[in-house]
Amino acid sequence: MARGMTSPASPVWQRPWARWAGWLLLVVVLAVVPLVMTEFANETLARIGVYAVAVLGLNVVMGYAGQVSLGQIFFLGLGAYITAYGVQEEWNIVLVFVLACLIPAVVGLLVALAAARLGGLAIAMVTIALPIVGVPLAKRLSDFTGGSQGMSARFADAPEGSGLFDDQWVLYVVLIIGGIVFLLTRNLVRGKYGRAFAIVKGNENVASSMGISPYRYKVLAFTIASLIGGVSGFLYMAVIQYTSPETMSFGHSIQLVAAMVIGGAASIVGSLLGGAYYVLVPQLTNLVDPSLTALLQGALLLVVLFVLPGGLVSLPRALTRGRRRSRAGRGPVAPPTTPSTTTGSGTAAEEPETERQGHA
Amino acid sequence: MNRHSRSRKALGIAVASALAVTMSGCGRGDDTGRSGDAAEGAPSPGITDDSITLGITTPLSGSTAGPGTCTVAGVTAYFGAKNAAGGVEFGDGKTRTVEIEALDDTYDPQKAKANYDQLKDDVFAMTAGLGTPTNRAWREAAIADEVPQVLIMTGDPLFSDTEESPWQLGFVPKYQNEGEAFGELLAASGGDHKVAILSQNDDYGAGYVEGFKSAIEGADNIEIVDELTYEATDTSVDAQLTELAASDADVFFNAMSLVPLMVGSLQKAQQLGWKPSWFLPSNTSSPGAVLEPGGAAAYPGIYSVSFSKAPQSPAFAQDPDVVEYLAALKQYGNYPDPPAFPHCQWSWMVGATLEQAFQEMEEPTRDSFMEALRSIDGFEAPLMLPDTSVNTTEDGQPAVSTVVVQKFNGRGYDTVEAFE
Repeated sequence: MARGMTSPASPVWQRPWARWAGWLLLVVVLAVVPLVMTEFANETLARIGVYAVAVLGLNVVMGYAGQVSLGQIFFLGLGAYITAYGVQEEWNIVLVFVLACLIPAVVGLLVALAAARLGGLAIAMVTIALPIVGVPLAKRLSDFTGGSQGMSARFADAPEGSGLFDDQWVLYVVLIIGGIVFLLTRNLVRGKYGRAFAIVKGNENVASSMGISPYRYKVLAFTIASLIGGVSGFLYMAVIQYTSPETMSFGHSIQLVAAMVIGGAASIVGSLLGGAYYVLVPQLTNLVDPSLTALLQGALLLVVLFVLPGGLVSLPRALTRGRRRSRAGRGPVAPPTTPSTTTGSGTAAEEPETERQGHA
Repeated sequence: MNRHSRSRKALGIAVASALAVTMSGCGRGDDTGRSGDAAEGAPSPGITDDSITLGITTPLSGSTAGPGTCTVAGVTAYFGAKNAAGGVEFGDGKTRTVEIEALDDTYDPQKAKANYDQLKDDVFAMTAGLGTPTNRAWREAAIADEVPQVLIMTGDPLFSDTEESPWQLGFVPKYQNEGEAFGELLAASGGDHKVAILSQNDDYGAGYVEGFKSAIEGADNIEIVDELTYEATDTSVDAQLTELAASDADVFFNAMSLVPLMVGSLQKAQQLGWKPSWFLPSNTSSPGAVLEPGGAAAYPGIYSVSFSKAPQSPAFAQDPDVVEYLAALKQYGNYPDPPAFPHCQWSWMVGATLEQAFQEMEEPTRDSFMEALRSIDGFEAPLMLPDTSVNTTEDGQPAVSTVVVQKFNGRGYDTVEAFE
C-alpha cells in the first residue's frame, strides 16, 4: 500500500534504507489497522486473510507448478473440521493447529502420490473428486463432523486482559499466521524449489534432462498446497467459527480457482488480491442488487479477464506500460526499468519479480 | 538480481518486526462502532422514532434461490402494504414504517456470517432467513452480540431451545412436530395398522421418526413392522423399498427430504405391487412436483401435513386472506408470479407475527422486543389453516408447532379429521 504511492522511477526509493523504511511503514500500518478500523472492516479483512491463504496454496500448485487443482476447498474444509473437532474435544490449540496443518498435508501427499503419476487433465479430474467425496463424507461421519448440521467452535475470543475486542484479536491471529505462511511461501517460490516448479510447469522433459524429477516436484507442490489449505481451514474456524458440509462444496472450489486467476496466477501479491476478490465481490454485488448477485459476479469476472488477462496484479504494470508508451510517442524513450522476462533462463519463477518491479 | 535478494531479506525482517509489533500492540483503540454496552432503555440500533429496519440473509442465487427469494418476498410484501397504509403502531405509542434489508448468502454459511456482520449494526433484528447451516453459522455470534435471530425458516430444534438459544426462535414446525401429527392421527384411527418406516439417516429423518414414535407410544393398534434408513447422498432406495414391501405393511412412513428420491420411491413401490397409504413430509409432498410424476393416484391415500393455505388451490381462490396476499406480493413483494413455494406464505405470516410483537413491545429495545415476541399465544396469522396458530410461549417449540394432516385428493390436499 505504502509502496504504491511512490513514483516508480524515484532513485531514492531504490536505496536499501528506503526499502527498509517502506517495509517498516507497512508493518506499522498492519499493526495499527486492527486498532483503528471499525468492527465490520476488521471482520472483512480477517475473511480476506483466510481466503488469501487458501488462494496462495492453490497458487503453489497451479500458478507456480502448473498442475490444475480443483480440490483446494477440500483441504480448507478438512482443516476447518479438524480444528472444530479439536476445539470441541478441548485439545491444546497449538496441537490443533499442528494437526490442522499436518493431516491435510498427509492427505494431499497420498492423493498426489497417485494423481501425479497421471498427466495433465487427469490430475484435474482426480482433484475434482475431493470436494465431491468430501461433502457426503462430512455428512456421513456425523460422529466427527456433526453431520449436515455442522459444527460450531469459538476459540479465538480475545484473552482477558489483552484489552482487545474479539474482532481485533482475530484479525491479529490471521495477520500473524497468514503473514508467516505468505513469507515462507514467498521464500519457497523464489528459491531453488520455485525454479524447479517453473521448469516442471514449462516443460517436463527439460526438467527431467536437468535432473529435476517432475513427479517428485508435482507431489511436493500438491502437498504444500494441501498444507496451506489446512492452515486456511484453521483460520476459517477462527474467523467464521462454524463449518458444515456446505463449506467444501465443489462450487466454492471453482470460485477459488477464479479468484486465483483474477488475482494473478504465480504471484504472491496476486494471492492477496484473489482473497480480496473472493470476499469483497459478493458483498459489493449484494449492495448493488441482492437478487442479481450471480449475474453481476459473472459479468465482473468477464470484464476483469478481458481487460487484465494477467489478473489484477498486472494492473500497475499495464498502467506504467501505457504511460511509457505515450511518453515514448512524445519524446526520447525512457530507460528500461523493467528487466526483460526473456533474460537468463526465462523461468516463470521470475515473473513475480518483474511484477513487483512494476508494482513498486 | 542483487536488488531482489536485498528486498527478499528486507521482507523477512519486515515480517519479523511485524510480529514483534503486533505482539506488543495490545493497546486498545477507541470504541470504533462496536455494539453493546448501550445504556439501559436507550434505543437499540436499527430503530428510530418513525422507522425500524429488519435484516435478512437468505439464498437469493444458487440452487435454493427459489424458496430463498420467497422468504424475502412475503415479509417485504406484508410490511410494504402496512407502510403504504401509514405504518405499524408500536407498543410505545409511536407509529413506525418497517424497512427490510435482504442480502444473498447463496446457502454458504461463510457468506451468511459475512452478511450478518454487515447488517448487525444497522438492523434492529434479523429474521426470516432460510437454511439450517446458514443460520447456525452466526447463531453464536448473534447470542454474543445480543441481536435477535427470530422467526427463521429452519426445522432445526436448536433454535427453539430457549436456554441454548436465548436470542433465537424458529418459525416453521420442527421435524418432530410433523411426525407427531401423523402419528396421532394414526393412533386415533382405532383400526389395526402395520407401519413400515424409511428415514433419511440424519437429524431430519431422525426428527420425523422420533416425533412419530412418541405419538404412537402406548397405542396397541399400531405396530412398526420394519424400519430402515438411507443416506442423503444415495441416488436410489430400491433395495430398501423391496425389503419394506416384503413386510406387507399397510402404512408407509417415508421421512425423505429429496424430491427425486421421493418420486422414484412412489414409482418403485407400484412396480413391486406394494400399495400402502403414504405419509410424506411437507417439503416433499408437492402435488405437481412429486405426486403427479410419482403416479400417486395408485395408492389408497397420500398424507402430508401443512399449516398454511395453498393460494393455488381452488378452495382458497376467493379467500380474503389469499386475495389480499397475492395482490400485495405482486405490488410490494417484487414477486409478480404466483408463489411456487410455501415459503412465500410462511414469510407473510412472519410479517404478521412480527407486527404482533411490535404492538406489544413497550420500549424500542431488543430486550423488550424479545420479551414481546415470546408472549404471543394463539395468534391466528393470516393464511393459516384452521386449527393451527402461532404460539411462542412454549419452550422447546418453534413459533408454529401445530400442523394439520391433509390427504391428497387427486389435485390438491384436503384437511382430514381421521385416518381412513
